[in-house]
Amino acid sequence: MDCHNNSPEVQVGKDTLKFLLMGNPNVGKSVVFSKLTGVEVLAANYTGTTVGYTKGKIRNLKKDGILIDVPGTYGLEATSEAEEVAVSFVKEGADAIICVLDATNLERNLNFALQLKKFDIPMVFVLNLVDVAEQQGVIIDTEALSKELRAPVIPTVAVRNVGLRDLLSEMEKVEKREKEVCYTAEKELLEEEESRWKEIGRIVEKVQTLEEREPSFIEKLGYASMQPWPGIPLAIIVLVVVLGFVVGGGKAIRGALLLPFVFNVYEPAMTAFVGSFIAEGTIIYNVLVGDYGVLIKIIEWPFALVLPYITLFYIALSTLEDSGYLPRIGVLMDGALRKIGVQGGSIVPFIMGYGCAIPAILGSKAATTHKERVIVASLVSLAVPCTAQTAAFFVLLGDESIWMLVGVYGLSILAMIVGGGVLNRMLPGKVDPMLLEIPNLLKPDLKTVAQKIKIRVKHYLVEAQVPMALGILFAAIIAETGLIHGISDFLSPVVTGWLGLPGEAGLALMLGIVRRELAVLPLLDMNLTSLQIFTGATVALFYLPCLSVLAILIKEFKLKTGLAIAGTTLVAAFVIGGVINQTVRFISSIL
Amino acid sequence: MSLYTIKKEHRCIIENLPKIGLLKSLGLREGINVAIKSKQPMGGPVIVQVGRRCVAIAQDIAKDIQVREVS
Repeated sequence: MDCHNNSPEVQVGKDTLKFLLMGNPNVGKSVVFSKLTGVEVLAANYTGTTVGYTKGKIRNLKKDGILIDVPGTYGLEATSEAEEVAVSFVKEGADAIICVLDATNLERNLNFALQLKKFDIPMVFVLNLVDVAEQQGVIIDTEALSKELRAPVIPTVAVRNVGLRDLLSEMEKVEKREKEVCYTAEKELLEEEESRWKEIGRIVEKVQTLEEREPSFIEKLGYASMQPWPGIPLAIIVLVVVLGFVVGGGKAIRGALLLPFVFNVYEPAMTAFVGSFIAEGTIIYNVLVGDYGVLIKIIEWPFALVLPYITLFYIALSTLEDSGYLPRIGVLMDGALRKIGVQGGSIVPFIMGYGCAIPAILGSKAATTHKERVIVASLVSLAVPCTAQTAAFFVLLGDESIWMLVGVYGLSILAMIVGGGVLNRMLPGKVDPMLLEIPNLLKPDLKTVAQKIKIRVKHYLVEAQVPMALGILFAAIIAETGLIHGISDFLSPVVTGWLGLPGEAGLALMLGIVRRELAVLPLLDMNLTSLQIFTGATVALFYLPCLSVLAILIKEFKLKTGLAIAGTTLVAAFVIGGVINQTVRFISSIL
Repeated sequence: MSLYTIKKEHRCIIENLPKIGLLKSLGLREGINVAIKSKQPMGGPVIVQVGRRCVAIAQDIAKDIQVREVS
């Protein structure tokens, strides 16, 4: 769910088998999907990761087959957007449904499975997470379950590839199976809520044995982390550790490895190389290797300054996502978040927003009302800096003083509280009360996490570099040709007069439209005072979301709302930045 | 009494609950036995263990769920 629903177009021939992958939320459908198709999707340990749907060609199947990853739902009553999608897929029909069941929560998963039976589509059941169930003392007799469901049941541990081969061979046999018939009497039995639960009770009684086990350390931790005590201090510790890891680690990698390489090896080599055929001091020479030299900045900014932080942040985020810890923070924060028109479950898109606003805005689809979605998307666009911008802040502010960094982040949180409070009162509609399943706390699987980090870093490297490069080229040309003076004069009432920044800072504002970190990075080489750095950072923080975010906002919320969000952030940036500048100047003038 | 009044680590049986589809889908239905696992401050949710899984239920909903306490 990064950026777009970019599933490659899959050709569906006449002989192509069509499989629907279905199940409750957070049972591992997306993991099974990416293992079977090789399509890279981002899974996580909480509900609602797949909000659209993805399809892919199945690998290693002896026949042609496509698999559709249907969003997870608890039922088939079409009461939410995700359920509507699920129902329409089932009604469209398929050669078989692969129904994934969570072995640690068989009862509730069977409720969904039995509702699927009445559609007369052949089913293959995947009993996933059997390893976790066993640790919890839950033993399920798969053969007995298969008899009860009259369909194959395959025990799996999808993240570790256990059982997937058996699943594939069962999928190959699907064509030869007798046509599925669900008898009318049975249909009636399953239709009625009460009798269905009775039937589930009977099946569970038959196939599941529970052993009393002393809760494991991780189960105890899972329990402790959702109590206000010690959950809240624990959450603060996690936050501090993550920040220390990203800020400290990033600074170390940058200082010890990347910057020396850029300044001692790359820059002299590149300068000498360009100097060998272009005369020093000419405009072309300066555009290539001067103060804003494209060939220098294009390596220094995205790779030496931003990349280390991006990588470390995604290591932390991916680990936390797969552990199932994030919804627990949502539970602890729900009371406070409700005041700004958001329920606890929406903490997840906020946290993702610190990575990139795009998955955060798409992820806000999990919110149950439109009002809540708009609030989440607006606040993320306004006040949550993405990792790339965060990295730029760390370089600009962290090198000045850690307190400036704290100050800018404090301002960001304050803006979310004020902005959320205002939107909550202003927007019509309501925000649903929290009703959320809390996932098991799991030890993240190293390979899966590594895969996710790879997808995300690759995404940054591929998607971010072209706009970044064009932005830098543009900057180099207007800086080196002297055009910048004209622009500075034009913008000076705002930039110099109101914000108190040097005229060249207008460059940062122009580049900031393209990417958020480009609103910060040009400030690095301008020898600014502390106040100017803080003002510049504040403006950059609230300034326009980047172009791709604007596009997503318009796509998801229509033109009017998208532009309204962007316009508000722009006004907020200049007003707040200017007020800070003017206030500090006024106070220091009377002291 | 309402689910929201039950103390932490106490158990109760659900007698009546509002018509919210998701509640039933999450396994909360009449006659089942649940345990309160935690109560959040600032009007936050209660955490209820249903079967082997925990569900966070907002105060507003929990107040509308009628239960009978069992020891």
